[in-house]
Amino acid sequence: MADFAAKEVKSFAYRRPAIRKGYASRTLHVDLSSGEIAVRPVSEEMKEIFVGGKGFDLWLLWNAVKGTTKWNDPENAICIASGPLGGTPTYPGSGKSIVCSISPTTGSCIDSNVGGFFGPYLKFSGFDALEVRGKAKAPTVLFIDGIEERIEIFEVEGLADEAHEISRTLTEYFGQGKPRSISVVSTGPGARHTLIGCLNFSWYDYKRQRSRLKQAGRGGIGTVFADKGIKAIVARWDPVTLATNDPVDVETLKAVAKLHSQEIVEQDPKQNQMSSVGTAHLVTIMNDYDLLPTKNYRFGGDVRAPEMGQEVFRSLFDKGFDGCWIGCTLSCSHGVKDFVPSSGPYKGKKVFVDGPEYETIAGCGSNLGIFDPLFVVEMNFYCDTYGLDTISVGTGIAFAMECFELGLINRDHTGGMDLSFGNKEAALTALHQMATGKGFGATIGQGVRRMKGIFARDYGADPRLLADIGMEAKGLEFSEYMSKESLAQQGGYGLALKGPQHDEAWLIFLDMVHNFMPAFEQKAEALHWFPLFRTWFGLCGLCKLPWNDVTPPDNKQTPEPAKVMRHVEWYSRYFTAVTGRAVEPPDLIFMSERVYNFQRVLCLKMGFGRREHDTIPYRAMGPVSAEEYESRADRYDGQLKDTHHVDIEGKSTLEKVALLRRLREERYELLKDAVYDRRGWTRDGIPTKATVKRLGIDFPEVLEVLNTHGVV
Amino acid sequence: MVRVGSHELAWREGMTIADVLDVLGDPYPYAVARIGERIVTAPHFASAAIPDGAEVHLLPLVAGG
Repeated sequence: MADFAAKEVKSFAYRRPAIRKGYASRTLHVDLSSGEIAVRPVSEEMKEIFVGGKGFDLWLLWNAVKGTTKWNDPENAICIASGPLGGTPTYPGSGKSIVCSISPTTGSCIDSNVGGFFGPYLKFSGFDALEVRGKAKAPTVLFIDGIEERIEIFEVEGLADEAHEISRTLTEYFGQGKPRSISVVSTGPGARHTLIGCLNFSWYDYKRQRSRLKQAGRGGIGTVFADKGIKAIVARWDPVTLATNDPVDVETLKAVAKLHSQEIVEQDPKQNQMSSVGTAHLVTIMNDYDLLPTKNYRFGGDVRAPEMGQEVFRSLFDKGFDGCWIGCTLSCSHGVKDFVPSSGPYKGKKVFVDGPEYETIAGCGSNLGIFDPLFVVEMNFYCDTYGLDTISVGTGIAFAMECFELGLINRDHTGGMDLSFGNKEAALTALHQMATGKGFGATIGQGVRRMKGIFARDYGADPRLLADIGMEAKGLEFSEYMSKESLAQQGGYGLALKGPQHDEAWLIFLDMVHNFMPAFEQKAEALHWFPLFRTWFGLCGLCKLPWNDVTPPDNKQTPEPAKVMRHVEWYSRYFTAVTGRAVEPPDLIFMSERVYNFQRVLCLKMGFGRREHDTIPYRAMGPVSAEEYESRADRYDGQLKDTHHVDIEGKSTLEKVALLRRLREERYELLKDAVYDRRGWTRDGIPTKATVKRLGIDFPEVLEVLNTHGVV
Repeated sequence: MVRVGSHELAWREGMTIADVLDVLGDPYPYAVARIGERIVTAPHFASAAIPDGAEVHLLPLVAGG
C-alpha cells in the first residue's frame, strides 16, 4: 500500500467558545457533498428540553431527515454528542459519546453509546454535537482541531482499511507528539460490505503506548459512515482538567465525585470486579441462571460455559489501568495483549484485542455453540478491526447455524460451508467474508431480518419458522440475554425504542430471580422508570456502569435496591454542580421522559413506532420446539398446571408448546397495554397529545406527526 | 475463620454459603456470592464449600446488562 497522504480540500477557521456550565453552546454541521461547514448556536430552550447527548443528536436528526429518508440517502445524518457532564475527569464513567442516525437494518432512528475520548474532545473543541450529512466523493478524513480552532476536510490515500490501523496512523499523524490529544472515529471494510457496521472510537493508552478502541456497535451506524465515504473523524484537544468543563460548583462536584470514586475502589473488588475482569464476570452467572444464550437462544446454558468464564479472562487480560475515560476508577475496558490470530489477514501476527466483553463472549461464543475463549478473542479482534458489531455478527451467525441444522438452508446456499453449531472455522470464514462482501458471509451481514426474507423467498424456507427463531425485532439483532422466562425482560427488549438492546432495560434478575415485580403494574412501572433513568446517562455523556455495577454496602436495605437511589441522588448533585440547574432525582426522570417520547415520535415519523413494531419473535418468549420445551419440561408443565390451570394430562409436547405459546403471547400483549398506559401512550403505542403537552415537546412538527397518525 | 463483611464466623469443614446465611440469619435473596475471587451463584449456595480463612461477599446483583 502507498504511504499515507492527506490532501486538504477544505479548511474552516472558527473561534472556540468558552465552555460554560458543561456546554459549548454550539453545534457543528458538515455536509460532505457540498463541503459546507457551519457552526450553529444552541439555545437555552434546547438545553432545557433536550439536555444534551442523545437529546441533541435526536433534535439534529429530526431536522435533517424527512419521513421518507432512507439510511443511504445523503440527507441521513450521523450525529455524535457528549453531554453536559461529559469530559469531567474525576467522576467515574464521564467520557461517553452517543451516536444517532437512521439505521440500515431498522430503517428508523438508532442510538448507540460508546466510550473513548471523542465526545469530550469534540465538546472542548467547541461543539456539543456534530452532525455529518452528505457523501464524500473520495475517501475523506474530517479533522476537528480544537487547539488550532480549525475544521479541515482531507482527501486521503494510503490509509489502511482496518480500524486499529486507521486509529494508529491518524493518532500519529495528527497528534504532533501528543497522541493522547487525539481521538479517532472510524470503521472498517466490513461496514462497507454489510449492514451491521460499527464505529470504533479511540482513546490513547499511555501505559501501553497505543490507541485503544471502544465500539458504537448497534444498528449499523458504521455502515452509514462507510456509505458516506468517511474514513475517519478526528478530534484534537488538550488538556483536560476539572475546570475544562466549567462546573458551577467545583467543591460539590469534587465531593460527590470522591464519594463515588472511593466507593468503587472499595466495593468493586468485593462485588463484580469490573476493574479486573469487566463484564466477563457475567458469563458463569448467566449460565447458572439459565440466561446465557446458547445455540441461537434455544437454551440458557451449557456445562462448558465455565471454560470461558471470568477466571479464564482474568488470566488472558493484560494487567493495568483500562479506563476508557480519564480518571474512571471502574476501569473495565480490558484487552488481550500479543494475541496471535489463527486466520485472516493478521494470521500469525501479534495484535492487541480490545475486549472481549460479556456480549461478545455470549454472542460469538455460547450462542454459536462454541466455548473456546481464544476463538472469542479472535472474533472480537476481527469484528472490531473490520468495523462490525459483535452482537449482530454473533446473533446473525447463530441464526444461520440453526437454519443450517434445521435444513432450511444447506451447503448449496452457504458456498459449501458446514454451518453446524460449534464449527469455529466456518464462523471465522463467514466473518472474513463479511469484510470482503463475498460468499455466504455477505448474506449473514445483511442482518437477521433480511436473511429471513432471503431464506424464505430464494431457498423456500418456512417463513413462520424463520419468524419464530430469527432473533431480531424492529430489524435489530437481540443482544445476549435469554428473555424466555422473564416477561419484564421481554418488554425490556420488545418495547425498547431502537430494538432489542438491553441498555434500555435489563430486568431479568429483578423479575425472574428476585421476583420483585410479580404484578403487571409493577412490571409496567419498571418498564417506565428503568428505561428513563438509563436514557438519562445518554443525555449527559455518562456511562451507566458506575450506577449499578457497584452498589453501596447497605443498598440492599433501601426500599428499592434495584434503583440504587443513593447513586441517583449523587447524580442529581453532580448534574446541579456542573450545570447550575437545581435538580432532584424525579427531575432526572422527567428530563429523560421528554427525550424518550420525542424519540418515539421520531420513530413514528420514520414509519415505525407503533404497537405492531413492538413485536418480538416467539423464541424470545418461550419454547419454539419440542426439544426446547423438553429441556425445561418441569418448569413449563408446572406453569401450565399451576399458574394457568390447564389440564395437560395426555397432551403431546407439541400440544403443550402450542398451549404455552398462546398464553405467553396473550400475556405479552397485556404487558404492552400496561406499559403504554403507564407511559401515557395510546393502545397503539403512540404518545398522546396530552403526554407531549405535559412534557413540553408539543412542537408543531411533533403534533403534525401525531395528527397524521390519528392521535387525538 | 471466615470473614463475611464485618462478621467473623467460625469455620468448619464443609461450610457452605447456605450455612453462612443461616448463621447470619440473613433472609435477603442474594443471587451471587464471591468466595475470594470465585463466583458462586444461588443455585450452588448449598454445595460450594468455603475454605478456612476465606473472605466471602454476598451480592444482590441488581446490575448486569
